[in-house]
Amino acid sequence: MESPTGRRRTAGWIVAARIHRVARGLVGLIALQALVAAYWQVWRGPHLAQDPRNPRLLLAEERVHRGAILDRYRAPLAQTQFTAGRPVRVYPAGPLFAHLVGYRNLRLGKTGLEAALDPVLLGVKRRTPWEVFQETLARRLRRGLDVVLTVDPEVQRAAYRALGGRAGAVVVLDSRDGAVLAMVSAPAFDPNAVERTWEALRKDAGSPLLNRATHGRYPPGSTFKVVTMAAALSRRIATPKTTFFCPGFVAVRGQRITDGEGRAHGPVTLEDALVVSCNVAFVQLGLRTGGQTLREFAAAFGIGTQLPFELPTDPGHLPTPAEVAGDGVAQMAFGQGSLLVTPFQMAVVAATIARGGVLPKPYVVAEVQTPEGRVAERHRPDAGERILAAEVAEILRDTMVEVTSRGTGRAAAIPGVAVAGKTGTATTPGGAPHAWFIGFAPAHTPRVAVAVLVEHGGSGGQTAAPIAREVLVRALQRIP
Amino acid sequence: MKNARDMLVLYGLGLAVTLGGLVLVRAARPDGTPWELLLAGLVLLGFPLIHVVLNSFGFRGDGFALPVVMGLSGLGLMEIFRLQPTGMVRQAGWILLGLGVMLLTYRLACDPDRLGRYRYLWAAGATVLLGSALLFGTERGGARQWIDLGAVSFQPSEAVKVLLVLFLAAYLCEHQPVLIPHLPHDVELRALAPLGAVLGLSLLMLVIQRDLGGALLYFVIVLVMVYLGTGRADYVAAGAVSFLVGGGICYALFPHVRVRLDAWLDPWRDLPGVGYQTAQALFALGSGGIVGTGLGLGHPDLVPAAHTDLILAAIGEELGYVGVLCVVVLYVLLIGWGFCVALRAQAPFSRLVAAGASTVLGVQVVLILGGSLRFVPLTGITLPFVSYGGSSIVSNFVLLGLLLGVSHREEADRGVDRGRAHP
Repeated sequence: MESPTGRRRTAGWIVAARIHRVARGLVGLIALQALVAAYWQVWRGPHLAQDPRNPRLLLAEERVHRGAILDRYRAPLAQTQFTAGRPVRVYPAGPLFAHLVGYRNLRLGKTGLEAALDPVLLGVKRRTPWEVFQETLARRLRRGLDVVLTVDPEVQRAAYRALGGRAGAVVVLDSRDGAVLAMVSAPAFDPNAVERTWEALRKDAGSPLLNRATHGRYPPGSTFKVVTMAAALSRRIATPKTTFFCPGFVAVRGQRITDGEGRAHGPVTLEDALVVSCNVAFVQLGLRTGGQTLREFAAAFGIGTQLPFELPTDPGHLPTPAEVAGDGVAQMAFGQGSLLVTPFQMAVVAATIARGGVLPKPYVVAEVQTPEGRVAERHRPDAGERILAAEVAEILRDTMVEVTSRGTGRAAAIPGVAVAGKTGTATTPGGAPHAWFIGFAPAHTPRVAVAVLVEHGGSGGQTAAPIAREVLVRALQRIP
Repeated sequence: MKNARDMLVLYGLGLAVTLGGLVLVRAARPDGTPWELLLAGLVLLGFPLIHVVLNSFGFRGDGFALPVVMGLSGLGLMEIFRLQPTGMVRQAGWILLGLGVMLLTYRLACDPDRLGRYRYLWAAGATVLLGSALLFGTERGGARQWIDLGAVSFQPSEAVKVLLVLFLAAYLCEHQPVLIPHLPHDVELRALAPLGAVLGLSLLMLVIQRDLGGALLYFVIVLVMVYLGTGRADYVAAGAVSFLVGGGICYALFPHVRVRLDAWLDPWRDLPGVGYQTAQALFALGSGGIVGTGLGLGHPDLVPAAHTDLILAAIGEELGYVGVLCVVVLYVLLIGWGFCVALRAQAPFSRLVAAGASTVLGVQVVLILGGSLRFVPLTGITLPFVSYGGSSIVSNFVLLGLLLGVSHREEADRGVDRGRAHP
């Protein structure tokens, strides 16, 4: 061998195919990294950028003029003001929007929309690099994005006043598109003073920090009869004219279920059973409908699931199949037993009937806009999913109109406007029953749907229906 | 020169983009002096200048890699300028030194016979360097791989990767008849012993030096070069199995290996601890999105080792997916070019050196790109020509010099052959 490097021999034995193979493999692996990077930066990028553990969010916060939260007329509900050069978050409406808007406090963190819309308010989202660059060049404090809500402060105030200091919640939806017009939870607190009053708020037995509209879990009582009736009508188990016999009580599993005042309704059609809220008839209807079907319909209305919404919401509790097996369904049929719902969910139930059987997608953010007023993002209308046949919804609507004209919900009637509604008096261990009312108006061209809950308020027809009436009147005036 | 006008366009484009980037960094972060900008510009101008010098030496090879590497170096300077303005000056110095060393290596590589003749010197050099690192090395960032020489310190492992390519190429050429199949097994085994020793050494590094990246790099180089030289998949399989078994034992025995793997498998579980670096890199990349925050406008300083190993995260945050894509494309061009040089080479030694050098560059790119992107476990490997670091910059320029030398020699020989064939 003349030379160890074999200079003069040809390289035939280092086959080109091997080099090709290695080259293909390595270059292929490098090129593959472009796909991997696309996964992290394009596909997962938005999640990573807004991950609460991403330290950029905290850094950004220190240097951002946080965006404002505005009502539907663009009046501020939360805004950052500078006193002596230091940014202060101010809530001009005080306790009125305490739960919906929430608060942002350096020590206590963020709640409500202040928490849910944090990336938007900080401007982490939807800023073009050019805008960011300009701000940096100009050494301006970076501005976050402003959020325009769908809420109407007058409707909110009417609901807050109507509750009159009682613990409870009112949710008002624009039944046409699911926009939240008002969301009140009482008792409330002043978000401007939350740091100062924190200890008292935390210890308060009335739980003023809890958003009862989205996180209060209550048995729906008789308002749930709307769902039971919807299930029975949809599955053709009964018609509005199907007659039941009410002797004033019914025994299921050795338990005596009575009507509100223990009064016997005698022979009663399904229609009338809803109008006078006859438990006995609905127990019989529920037994015929069956637990599984009732669960299905309740779930279709969003009970037991987190409704998609800008704020986190409580799913409530949908009875398990075991709980409603056999005659276990009896309690659920008139909204008692282990069934638990939030006022927000019941407002969606009312709005679904108002929309002729189409479940709305509730939302509260109408627009996101830049400080210059350019719209960065606008709510995209979502027709929602049909869960009831139009004929079924029509029957329910007509029956609910009779509830307010001659039934338990007469206190919600508005002269000159047909109001569809249903009362509920949900018995609860320890204390007076919870008072409920759900409804919508005008019944035949609905614009506004409402759910009212008064904790331990007693009779729904006496306590909740008048509140609903006041709220509906105000909302119909404000929302054309 | 292949085509003077094409080259001019490439250099012009590269210079315009990188200088523009540097100006943007300065606009966004007005610390440091304008002189630093000027310096960076001058260093980048060094690339076309070297090209002219090469041509004046009668360079006949393919110089396409030079503008590509200029682009990579420019990207690195930009991001280092943004992260550590003072580091940028030093990095510019390293690049200048690298270009000079590249020119020297090129001259040496033009005579492959001489490179091959010193094969045992390379082997001895590599052993001494690694041994000294093991004995006198100081620890930085969890790996004991630095030799401190007072004013400067360097990473012997960076030099070793070059020596390893030269030694393996020469050794495989010398023992080619023995290593090729159909020969008695005892001969085969004896000839394989040095290769086994290199593999053993890389495992040792893993254990003692805690240099996972280096160990993995050496291991892949040995396997790929043995495969190129012998075409025997069984050697490769045996090597791979032994390394995997060794790695498995290390995983069980040594916590630092376990930490790396755990961070790779689930960085979110222990985010403030084990998974910190990986998670911060992903946060940076994700926050960059498609077009990035803009140079100087992100927070890549939150990522540990952002200017060295994890510079891709910094690029990904400030230049976005577009920037990462540019990096990937530049590497595809560079590594592709390297293997083309190997394929065009006729002499076995030159062919192996070129293929080996391309493999070293390519494997580094895969390990650190993949490591930054959680495709493979993150190890302490630099992004060639981009990351801050003198040892890695200079050694990668040496590899580039080897490739340029091989390219020139082969094209020159071809010209002679052609001249003989068609008088």
